[in-house]
Amino acid sequence: MPEFPKTNPSLILRVRDLGDGASWHDFLAIYEPVVFRMARQRGLQTADAQDVMQAVFLSISQSIARWTGGPNQPPFRAWLITIARNAITKALSRRPRDVPAGSTSIVELLHAFPQQEITADEIATETRHEIVRRACDQIRVEFSEDIWRIFWVTSIEGVPIAEVARQTGRTPGSIYVARFRVVARLKDKVREISEMWDVREVTT
Amino acid sequence: MTNPPTGACLTDDLLQQLAHDELSPAKLAEVEEHVGHCDCCRAALELASSDAQWTNEIQPVLQRPAEPLPEWDECEELGIDTPRYESVLQLLGPTDDPNMLGRIGSYEVVGIIGRGGMGVVFKAFDRTLNRFVAIKMLLPHLAESGAARKRFAREGQAAAAVIDDHVLPIYSVAEWQGVPYLVTQYLRGSTLQKRIHQSGPLELKEIIRLGLQTARGLAAAHAQGLVHRDVKPSNILLDGTVERAMLTDFGLARAVDDASITRTGVISGTPQFMSPEQANGEPIDHRSDLFSLGSVLYAMCTGRPPFRAETTFGVLRKIRETSPRPIRETNPDIPTWLDAIVNRLLAKNQAERFATAAEVAELLEQCLAHVQQPTTHPLPPTLEALLQASAAQESPRPTHTEAAHLAPQRRRWLIGIPVAASLLAAGLFMIMNQQPGQVPVTADPPGEFTDESADGPSRRESSPSEPLTEWNSIRSAFRALDSELTGFESEIETARPSPSQTETEPLEVEAGANP
Repeated sequence: MPEFPKTNPSLILRVRDLGDGASWHDFLAIYEPVVFRMARQRGLQTADAQDVMQAVFLSISQSIARWTGGPNQPPFRAWLITIARNAITKALSRRPRDVPAGSTSIVELLHAFPQQEITADEIATETRHEIVRRACDQIRVEFSEDIWRIFWVTSIEGVPIAEVARQTGRTPGSIYVARFRVVARLKDKVREISEMWDVREVTT
Repeated sequence: MTNPPTGACLTDDLLQQLAHDELSPAKLAEVEEHVGHCDCCRAALELASSDAQWTNEIQPVLQRPAEPLPEWDECEELGIDTPRYESVLQLLGPTDDPNMLGRIGSYEVVGIIGRGGMGVVFKAFDRTLNRFVAIKMLLPHLAESGAARKRFAREGQAAAAVIDDHVLPIYSVAEWQGVPYLVTQYLRGSTLQKRIHQSGPLELKEIIRLGLQTARGLAAAHAQGLVHRDVKPSNILLDGTVERAMLTDFGLARAVDDASITRTGVISGTPQFMSPEQANGEPIDHRSDLFSLGSVLYAMCTGRPPFRAETTFGVLRKIRETSPRPIRETNPDIPTWLDAIVNRLLAKNQAERFATAAEVAELLEQCLAHVQQPTTHPLPPTLEALLQASAAQESPRPTHTEAAHLAPQRRRWLIGIPVAASLLAAGLFMIMNQQPGQVPVTADPPGEFTDESADGPSRRESSPSEPLTEWNSIRSAFRALDSELTGFESEIETARPSPSQTETEPLEVEAGANP
């Protein structure tokens, strides 16, 4: 059997493991919407927003492919988050190129205005929001339809508990308890995902 | 409050247990009862949903419905903006359900699973039987000829008659607005094509097992007098966690080919796994499937199809005329006897191949037993004869063998498919190195085998008209990183040009020292 020239830990073994049970699926699940929503907030159409998504993740992949790691480098996941943020900043700071030539349309005038600056805070905020949504999606399946509805209707839609008790035939006591359970679980999950993706929570 | 609270107030411990769902139903009921009457305990529970984190961050986010991302089917999502497929989508009847794409017959279409040269595969929901199904529909322009439609229906019915563990069940064949379609079982698994694409060569046991199962499926079809005609990794589905091989797409491509070839002169789908007699347009029988099986085994052993070229016609020529690079040059872990089996399947002359798929299945079964328990199960004796026969053929090597001119040094670098490349760079690489002007071997989406080494680095303009197709490759590349790798060590080919040489607007992003 011929000898393989051995390299240092292969790229795949280094990049596949995000550590702490984090998965690439999570990474995409959080950052795809972040990019998409930020692009849409800047007035981009859906198709253009998707183009931005593609550009961002393409660039992230390229960076990953060049990553070498090592003892003086930050751990991979932390590095990845930085890369992602930089890629988002760059992508959304670029001026759109397809300005119609020779016409003084409103569109052109708008393009002439400087783009709203992207700040790290903005990205972090959007990321935190996405984490909340993702946490919500993930824990939803842990509860029965009824419990979830109770939680949602009282805590998110603000319907008074007495009203819900009347409609569902449940005791107010059970509604309080149900809410508590869901909220507690939700916060737990938000914390878990935030830790994974190094996003600081609001601490006021 | 007229009633005094029952039981004791909630302790911190109890709160914790409640939050972590650790209370028995009886205890839970007790707590609920108590809370109903105890103000201070109610207040304690409410603390959780009135703190800063809740009011400032969680609640406002959930109160504001966020714009949903453009809908992706949870199966392989593909760009659906190309004109051909628009015609298919226009066919979809209206539906009342806002979550569904449309309707085919009485099936509610929820998404697109994939596409090939001849049709589209949808994921759909069968309300009458309350299950998901896969619907394979011919491209309308291929269904124009009545003969093509009849052929499709006939093939579908013949295939539906094959009942075997390793053949994907066909539920029905029907027509919707003049376009024929097949309804089959919906499988959540992947295809052998994707597996090889993501992980490179398979482990020996896998190769033999999947080869064995495919051979069994073929044997069942042949017993019904049916020739598959399109055996290839993308037609071998891997079902469930045990990844049982399921053959699909019987002969349908070829049923349609006759119609499309006469019209366009082009063969639909990839020819890489065709037999020489198919490549020659000669009449075929079940032994053609055996050749294709050999090609599939080859692909499992090496990660690449045996016959590759830049153009369809190049591939066909190689199928007819050349021997593939010996498996053991790419993957020396493959034992000689498996190599011999594959080579016999790949004999240009049908008469030299194994006689039946059943024979191949039997042989592979014994080989698998041997691999799993070498001490108690020796290799089947027929392999001896096979090995001697193939050894005799080794010496006069055909002049067209691809490996002939490579220096031994270079060969060593070919060993080991760079998994990193295939997961990230190749997924992107194929996007970035495809020249739009070239005649591609296949029109299928990235994920089919392409010949990356053919032309060296090439530039590619970022093309905004195909964002979704590229996007899928990127996402798949990322997702693939999550899947289990087969433990196959990867090499990073430093000879491969880095992705930064492409024309796509590169976003140069570097991480600072402090994240």
